[in-house]
Amino acid sequence: MPRQKLSEYRAKVILNQALNLHYQGWQIDGTRELKPQLKGASETSNNLVIKVDEGVKRRFKQGLVLLDIMPEDLEKGIQSLLRKGYRYLIIEPMLAHDPHEERYLSLSMHRDGLICRYTSSGGVDIESQATDIKSLFIRPGQQAHELAKGAGLTQQQLETMRNLMADNYVVFLELNPYVSREGNLYLLDAAVEVDDAALFFVDNWKAVDLRSHIGHELTIQERLVQELDASSPASLKLSVLNPNGSIFLLLSGGGASVVVADEIQNQGFGKELANYGEYSGNPNTEETYIYTKAVLQLLLRSQASKKVLFIGGAVANFTDIAKTFAGVMQAIEEVADKLQAQKVKIFVRRGGPHQEKGLAAMRTLLAQYNLLGMVHGPKTPLTTAVDEALKEAIYG
Amino acid sequence: MDNFRKMPISVICLGSHPGIIQSMLDYHYCLGQEDIPIMAIIGSGRKQERYFWGHSEIVLPVYRELSTVPKEIRDSVTCLLHVQSARRVLSGLTEAFKTLPKLTLVNVFAEQVPEAHAITLAQLAKEHNITIAGPASVGLLLPGVLKLGAIGGTEYPQLVAARIFVLGDTAVISTSGGMVNELIHIVTGSGSGVSFAMALGGDRNPITTPAEAMRLAQTDSQTKRIVYFGELGGDDEYRIAELIKEGTLTKPIVAYIAGSVAELFPEPPQFGHAKAMAGSEAETAAAKKTALREAGATVVDVFMDIVSALGESSPATEPQEHRQITTRHKRLLVSRISGEVEGDVQLLGQDLLGVVNGNTVAGLYLSMLLGQPVKASKLIEFMDYTLRLLIDHGPYVAGAVNTAIAARAGKDLASSLSAGLLTIGPRFGGAINSAAGVWLEGVQSQSSAKDFVVSFRSNGGIIPGIGHKKYRIDVPDPRVVKLISTFSGNSNDDRFLSFARSVESVTTAKKGNLILNVDGTVAAIMLDLLESELYYTQERLQELIDIEFFNALFIASRSVGLMAHYLDQRRHDEGLLRLSDEDVSYIP
Repeated sequence: MPRQKLSEYRAKVILNQALNLHYQGWQIDGTRELKPQLKGASETSNNLVIKVDEGVKRRFKQGLVLLDIMPEDLEKGIQSLLRKGYRYLIIEPMLAHDPHEERYLSLSMHRDGLICRYTSSGGVDIESQATDIKSLFIRPGQQAHELAKGAGLTQQQLETMRNLMADNYVVFLELNPYVSREGNLYLLDAAVEVDDAALFFVDNWKAVDLRSHIGHELTIQERLVQELDASSPASLKLSVLNPNGSIFLLLSGGGASVVVADEIQNQGFGKELANYGEYSGNPNTEETYIYTKAVLQLLLRSQASKKVLFIGGAVANFTDIAKTFAGVMQAIEEVADKLQAQKVKIFVRRGGPHQEKGLAAMRTLLAQYNLLGMVHGPKTPLTTAVDEALKEAIYG
Repeated sequence: MDNFRKMPISVICLGSHPGIIQSMLDYHYCLGQEDIPIMAIIGSGRKQERYFWGHSEIVLPVYRELSTVPKEIRDSVTCLLHVQSARRVLSGLTEAFKTLPKLTLVNVFAEQVPEAHAITLAQLAKEHNITIAGPASVGLLLPGVLKLGAIGGTEYPQLVAARIFVLGDTAVISTSGGMVNELIHIVTGSGSGVSFAMALGGDRNPITTPAEAMRLAQTDSQTKRIVYFGELGGDDEYRIAELIKEGTLTKPIVAYIAGSVAELFPEPPQFGHAKAMAGSEAETAAAKKTALREAGATVVDVFMDIVSALGESSPATEPQEHRQITTRHKRLLVSRISGEVEGDVQLLGQDLLGVVNGNTVAGLYLSMLLGQPVKASKLIEFMDYTLRLLIDHGPYVAGAVNTAIAARAGKDLASSLSAGLLTIGPRFGGAINSAAGVWLEGVQSQSSAKDFVVSFRSNGGIIPGIGHKKYRIDVPDPRVVKLISTFSGNSNDDRFLSFARSVESVTTAKKGNLILNVDGTVAAIMLDLLESELYYTQERLQELIDIEFFNALFIASRSVGLMAHYLDQRRHDEGLLRLSDEDVSYIP
């Protein structure tokens, strides 16, 4: 997950500090005891804003922003958001302002410079007034007077933001809205994306500040794979699309995995697709074992009447097929009787180092437990093998 | 690409990835190339790594840093394989650009290189006119010429199955490592060949962009058409569309853009590759496909339609001609000293009897200890003198005493000799090696003898090679006098001996017996001779010190002395030697 959202709280701390602005805000973690976390916010005389701080888009429309909360109602407001299943919130003092003061600015990193978009009428409905937004491209080192003027920033403030982006590996910075009053900035809402590959090189944010929202709550299996991914030099991804789907995927390779999922979509069976995921970068046997176990748990739980598992990938360059398959097979064997009871068929297409050994062992195992759909090497095209699995899932 | 095919292939590896390195060696061996294409590995922990060149084992030198790689290698390197971690990509390559004047092609294997680093590297690469495949790339393949990276596979059977030994006319360009290989198989399986294959990596800012790769294909005289695998995310495909529209890119393109499945997700999903996430409509697979189609590229929706889009060719069935590799296994031990060739024993690459007949004892001892045949007569003469000089120093010294005690306890020759040898260490007999270390360090530091002595003292050390019980500055050790008069006057201006003597002049100013002793003199002269006669570099001298070569001189000579004491004691046959009560002071 390279480009990730930073928590609004962390983004604002970094921004305000760099811009030399006073910042008052509090972060709430719903899994920790609330009282001590509320101390600062409940003592202010201001009315407050409470927002979900998990990188969710369109918070206003989803009712995830509570405005003008009196300090004594703070806890009630917080509880109402936490009850919706969120964990992180941000609390800030309410800034009274005229909606006409609201501005919009976004700076987005591109290979050759920054793509800057701005308008003096920002706010919630920014998408609907796309025509009003001005767009500019600034190259590294290039002065940007026009942008500063149009965005209501001093030259100094704009430069600070540009430097801040470079120093903190920020790839996207959006202020929507913000208010500019005679050189003073009030950042009402800030969205920042950072390059998580830079974790090693930055001090101002850490892994705990990253908030990536995938639109639904993570299943136990997705969370498990996320943790596995974080602790391994290899790459392991899993996301559930339809828990009751009939086609389950256990794929290898960032490119091939998308090709396989595309093929299912192209054939018109996207709705039957239960999950997307991939492992790559030569994970070890234990990692593929844990990963496969997670996928099989999802598969066994699906209510679909006919279920298939497709194990596949391109012709690997360096990922050892025998070693990675050993973990996959171990996990299959553990629940082989259950898979058999549900009449699951498993289809395989893979190539790479030690493919003969890996494919032969897989074929033997699947046949032994009556799970064998087909096992193919690189001579059978990847998508032809997918089509076979689809046939079994839909008509088999 | 045409230029890449013409340049000499000379690869350096930043970091080690044995599977990839071996597969590159195998590929080049199979092509029938004479020279081993990989010159060196930068890594830590080892001095060399073993690989196969065809069926014979070879060693590749490992250096800690680029700067310690011999200049002649650095000056020859044209290709670089980077297989270190993502953190070290920017720093490693920045240094490589400065130190490798002929560097032309680079593969960066690591995933998770920060985007900003890739952008910086893209600029630097442009300034140095270097082409980089990556980050997160399996490399670049020029059939018949070069395999830089894991591309095409890491096992010999994979290389054969991919049919990549012969040049073809179809360029394969892909943002995915697995899919580049898949496409190579599709192209060669259909009877065509690959002109070049390049994995750009799945990052948002690949250093060589898809559009730049297209330019390389356009200007390549071997390429007639292009197969491209792209993904959702980023805007690279729009740049390709522009190139087609403006007429820069005229060769036919068949493209597949992965990621239409993203529509199924409630929020834009992040797929496996870093760039594979469509944050806006323009970044979706559908939008990019449309743009490419409108520009005139053939874009297939179903992956296998690539085959029909590439047109009619008869499927290839015959494996391609190449030098084959059969089973081979790694040896347990590697030796440069000796071995059997067709049943005959060789020493240092020569027939045993020839070596024996053609050498003196001293010449052979030195050759064996240095691991190379030595013919320099002054050096051999010095070795001869040293072997004689160090043979014995009386029955009083620790080693001789231990040998005598063991002999009188009734132990055999080997045990008694070992008892004596086991005494050799920091306080007895080990001074030549430590002295050599000190003289080398002193010369390298370029500090004055006075500063050197001060810093040595402040670290609490006594200087090995300095000091004698009996001899003083006014009563010089005749052996030292003889050594210096006979063996100085070397072509390196005796710089080690000079340094040792200037240290002596500092220490004797404090105390008259802190003179340069025999150990210190032997060490200094040996260093001078190795540098003057055999042109040893400071790195090689340092290695000799690290592996205790200088102690071997002492042990080779003194072993004879110890055996003499053993035999002497056996002749006397006086029975067990034990200490008497008067010899031990008991303090309860």
